[in-house]
Amino acid sequence: MESASIAVGSAHAHEHHGPPEAHSSSKIDRQTLGILLFIVSEAMLFGAFFASYFFLREVSNPTDVWPPDGFELPKAIAGVNTAILISSSFTIHWALEGARKGNREAMKMGLAMTWLLGATFLFIQINEYVHLGFSARDGAFGSIFYGLTGLHGAHVFVGLLLLSFANIRAWRGHFGTKAEDHLGVEVPGIYWHFVDVMWIIVYVTVYIL
Amino acid sequence: MRRAVNRMPLPMKDMSLSTFLKGAAIAGLMTLVISLVMVNIDWLGPVYSSEKEDIVTLLNVMIVLSSLVFSIVMVMMVYAIWKYRAKPGDESDGEPIHGNTRLEIIWTAIPTVIVIFAGVYSTIVLNDIEAKADNGKIMEVDVTAQQFAWRFDYPEQGVTSTELHVPVGTQLDLHLNALDVIHSFWVPEWGIKRDLVPGADLPGGDDIDDTVTVTPTEEGVFSVVCTELCGWGHATMRAAAVVESQDDFDAWAADQTKIPDEEDVSSGVPGGKGAGVFDDRDLTDD
Amino acid sequence: MVAALKNPGMPRAGLGFLIGGLFGFGLVVALRAVSGLEIFQTEATGYPHVIVPGITAPIGFLIGLGCFDYWFRWASGAPTIPDDHSQHGAYSWKDYFKFNTDHKVIGIQYVVTTFCFFMIGGLLAMLMRAELAQPGTQIVDPGVFNSLFSTHAAIMIFLFIVPVFAGLANYVLPLMIGAPDMAFPRLNALSFWMLPMAGVLFMASFLAPGGAFDAGWTGYAPLSTGAPLGQSFFNLGVQFAGASSVATALNFLVTIVTMRAPGMNFWRMPLLVWANLSTSLLVVGATPFIAGAQFMVLMDRAIGTNFFQAAAGGDVISYQHIFWFYSHPAVYIMMLPGFGIVSEVISTHARKTIFGYRLMAIALLGIVILAFAVWAHHMFVSGMFAWLRVPMMITTLLIAVPTGIKIFSWLGTLFDSKLHIESTSMLFALGFLVTFVIGGISGVMLGMIPLDIHVSDTYFVVAHIHFVLFGGSVFTIFCGFYHWFPKMTGRMYDERLGRIHFWMTLVGMLGTFIPMHWIGMEGMPRRVADYAAQFGNWNLVITIFSFILGVAQLIFVYNMVVSWRFGPKAGDNPWRAKTIEWLVSSPPPVFNFDEIPRVVGGPYEFGVPGARHAIMHDGDGATVSGPEPAVAGAASGGGGGEGGGS
Ligand code: HEA
Ligand code: HEA
Ligand code: CUA
Ligand SMILES: [Cu+2]
Repeated sequence: MESASIAVGSAHAHEHHGPPEAHSSSKIDRQTLGILLFIVSEAMLFGAFFASYFFLREVSNPTDVWPPDGFELPKAIAGVNTAILISSSFTIHWALEGARKGNREAMKMGLAMTWLLGATFLFIQINEYVHLGFSARDGAFGSIFYGLTGLHGAHVFVGLLLLSFANIRAWRGHFGTKAEDHLGVEVPGIYWHFVDVMWIIVYVTVYIL
Repeated sequence: MRRAVNRMPLPMKDMSLSTFLKGAAIAGLMTLVISLVMVNIDWLGPVYSSEKEDIVTLLNVMIVLSSLVFSIVMVMMVYAIWKYRAKPGDESDGEPIHGNTRLEIIWTAIPTVIVIFAGVYSTIVLNDIEAKADNGKIMEVDVTAQQFAWRFDYPEQGVTSTELHVPVGTQLDLHLNALDVIHSFWVPEWGIKRDLVPGADLPGGDDIDDTVTVTPTEEGVFSVVCTELCGWGHATMRAAAVVESQDDFDAWAADQTKIPDEEDVSSGVPGGKGAGVFDDRDLTDD
Repeated sequence: MVAALKNPGMPRAGLGFLIGGLFGFGLVVALRAVSGLEIFQTEATGYPHVIVPGITAPIGFLIGLGCFDYWFRWASGAPTIPDDHSQHGAYSWKDYFKFNTDHKVIGIQYVVTTFCFFMIGGLLAMLMRAELAQPGTQIVDPGVFNSLFSTHAAIMIFLFIVPVFAGLANYVLPLMIGAPDMAFPRLNALSFWMLPMAGVLFMASFLAPGGAFDAGWTGYAPLSTGAPLGQSFFNLGVQFAGASSVATALNFLVTIVTMRAPGMNFWRMPLLVWANLSTSLLVVGATPFIAGAQFMVLMDRAIGTNFFQAAAGGDVISYQHIFWFYSHPAVYIMMLPGFGIVSEVISTHARKTIFGYRLMAIALLGIVILAFAVWAHHMFVSGMFAWLRVPMMITTLLIAVPTGIKIFSWLGTLFDSKLHIESTSMLFALGFLVTFVIGGISGVMLGMIPLDIHVSDTYFVVAHIHFVLFGGSVFTIFCGFYHWFPKMTGRMYDERLGRIHFWMTLVGMLGTFIPMHWIGMEGMPRRVADYAAQFGNWNLVITIFSFILGVAQLIFVYNMVVSWRFGPKAGDNPWRAKTIEWLVSSPPPVFNFDEIPRVVGGPYEFGVPGARHAIMHDGDGATVSGPEPAVAGAASGGGGGEGGGS
């Protein structure tokens, strides 16, 4: 999120008071690399919970039944919800294309729709929690179910926060067509794709398998 | 870089073969001395189980190998410090030697060989100490740990006790379980240790490796020591392990028909019975 | 007054802490009221009224301090004012208590803060040793003793060793690769300020009912899930320390990849840079696992989930797998940067290039890869899957190979050198070779399952821990402190006091930790406040030596504090080293360079006539050899060996 200040700061007004411009020794942009590495560490955080999932389901599960008797998951509704989240990956891509091509309307609409789709997802998820009929205290299944989906929900929330910032700036007229001028759309976008992909993995393991 | 970097098998400019051999001899001697001293020290304490005998042999082999590694490092370092120390005021630089492939291969290969040997040997020893007894004499004991006490159940004899009594020379199969947090079973003289994990006896506990075998070879009274941190009483969570002749054991088992009453339980709490297994010292009077 | 509370800074941070805490408390009260629960806590509810403020108060502090000001402006779409560089450089001691984005200031903040934690952790160790001097309980009761070693280890590991390396690298790494700063300066500052917060949480646990956390630094479930409130502070503190180290690691990685000076290709990077690259890869890959483990423990404690509750279908041993999947790589997180420091110091003081530079770098990467495949060697006796033991033993033993490559390459560097052992940093580097090899060998023994079955959870392990962590990490940290002290402060420390510090530390360390091998094998378990009388004598010896070790550290503190203030001027390059940080003034200018240097050769070209690592100004770039013009910031260079003497 440096770009704005770098763009303004390098106006050469401060030539002898500011730091020299760093040499860029790689083609990849700093913020993009930063978010990619951050995603690696996020994936490992999910990895910890998936490890726990594996132990609870395969190692210390006395029966072969999973989810254990008495737990029912609304696969269909969650499936619809999955579709909603996946479609938001397309809208954010649309927004980014808009930013690249200078189509501000597409960018704004794409960002807004992504935000709305994400919020819908989160809303349905919370609604599902309310109606599930079991809580995180109910057995190992309850714990890991809420653990994994809750962790993911928290990531959707953070993604929404980032998207809100992108929306605000987009509607206030920021972002341009040059690559370094729309990092504010691209970087949250990369994160949002990660959140989507992660959800597919969570959905498939927790609901389907 | 113009100078001949590689004279002998070694890159060192002024190291002749004889210096190298001298160094090697010193390292060898040092290994020998360290090994002799170390192997003769009774590191592991009394060895009162057949499993621990194997462990001690493994340890001694490792001590020799470790002394070798340590001596090589020390000799190289001390030689270099003695030989290449700059004179006061000498501001010049060392030789621009960037490396030597042959040497680098050597010191990758030798440790690889050593550790693979250590790995294979350890695996063999591990299989030995976990093998079933030849004479087929096996006694089952269920060991249960709880903050901060031990209980031993003998399913065959139908006996329950707070002391572990075992006949000498018989292989024990200890089935371990804990009621609250993780504890660990260890008798230093036997050299065998394994955690007692809560849930081992539950249907979901199948994957917990809860059986450990040991064959005591010497009669006497030892301590069962809890070695996994289990709370404030961890330090004093002990029970007596009594190794006795088969006859004595049978007599003891016949005597233990009833479950001991509350006061008799080894609690591990200072002042409780069983705490006194700390050698000659009574823990209550600190 | 009002202005002080409006502008970023300590007063506003204090206010933020309060508001954050109240907000968290209010949130819990409100949520409980809405969902119809009893509003105030009862024992069984796991203290949400403390845990939630335990998260929000530190965040309030960070907001108050100004960590997020820029990002808030950015997020709300306000124009981000051009950087006026008021957050660069430190002009008085007060600037160290501000949100400062200068990597050199942050480096010093890190080093000083973490060293304070070392003193606290050491003091706790002294208390422990006093208790253990004799069998029986004299000073503290067993419960307090458990808190002592738990906090000792947690502070040493999470608040000293891991972050102090980040601090040293923060200072020198951007200079070394010719970057004006880190890639994300604001994130860098935020990473630092999370540490004091982790410290506050760890310390606050001493005030909790039931005492400070006492389940060991490993916090095994279900002991930790059933422990009193103090344990929650451990769970939370680790989150802040972990977030801090992940953020720093990202920063290092991006800096190293994208901000190297022209000509600085990967094979021209100093080994310290390689070491921090490797460490950062470990941090990014492994640290989230401890975050996960502590989250799960916290949830088991606070909201009654069943991750580790066997009776409700949870899996007790899974905690250890997840924990060690971080904490084994963590031991290399605590060692690899030290390897980097030692490489710099040995090369400089032997006046010779590192022997087998490329293999050294490759060995680091080899350790990174192996480090992820050995975690279960801490669980040989835990009752985990029996089949996993032998594969884990093999990978564990194999780690000796890349480590051995490093040891022998350092030794190879000493041959045909011009060895200067007058400086304390070189003494610590050589001392490190001795102590770390002993610690590594005891590690190899622990890695062999049959031996581990006997000595696991005994003082043998405690001996191993301290030989690798004290003889390894701490020695290299001192090595780095002494080496870069002149660069950081512009002044020279007292070598005589330094040498006394080294020898006392070495003797104290060997005397303290060697006998532990023996009493461990003989049968003394670890984590006990009381032990059988037969170990009494050795424990007394250990305690006496540990006090010598403690006093030695006071000498160090005295030396550093006094030299910082009154030491003689050091000159830009007292060690006549080649890497870029020595080619700028001491302390370096606020923005590191007027112009990004150009790298023209390897980092350690000692003895090659005319060879240089970097050219500081384009003006003199034409001639690659020959003496350098006496521009400020480029005091020495050239193979001839002129320049400031020590
Ligand atoms: C800086 C930290 C650090 C480092 C670098 C290491 C390095 C190693 N450690 Fe250690 N370890 C710890 C910190 C560290 N450890 C801590 C804190 C614990 C306890 C945790 C707790 O329970 O609280 C622990 C515990 C621990 C255990 C578990 C013991 C138990 O609880 O039962 C084991 C078992 O395998 C182990 C093994 C090793 C090995 C094989 C290495 C290897 O990397 C060592 C490699 C180095 C060398 C071998 C020396 C140099 C090499 C040569 C000179 C080449 C030739 C050598 C040979 C051929 C042998 N360690
Ligand atoms: C980097 C890590 C690190 C460091 C530097 C140290 C340093 C020291 N440690 Fe620590 N230790 C651990 C990491 C570390 N330790 C870990 C991970 C454990 C395992 C914990 C567990 O089981 O969960 C452990 C456990 C541990 C135990 C075992 C506890 C037990 O199992 O019952 C002991 C016992 O002697 C001990 C002692 C010491 C001593 C004497 C020092 C000394 O080196 C300290 C020297 C420093 C100072 C003394 C500070 C400076 C001086 C002053 C502040 C002035 C005061 C001086 C005097 C009063 C003389 N440590
Ligand atoms: Cu039971 Cu320690
Ligand atoms: Cu390890």
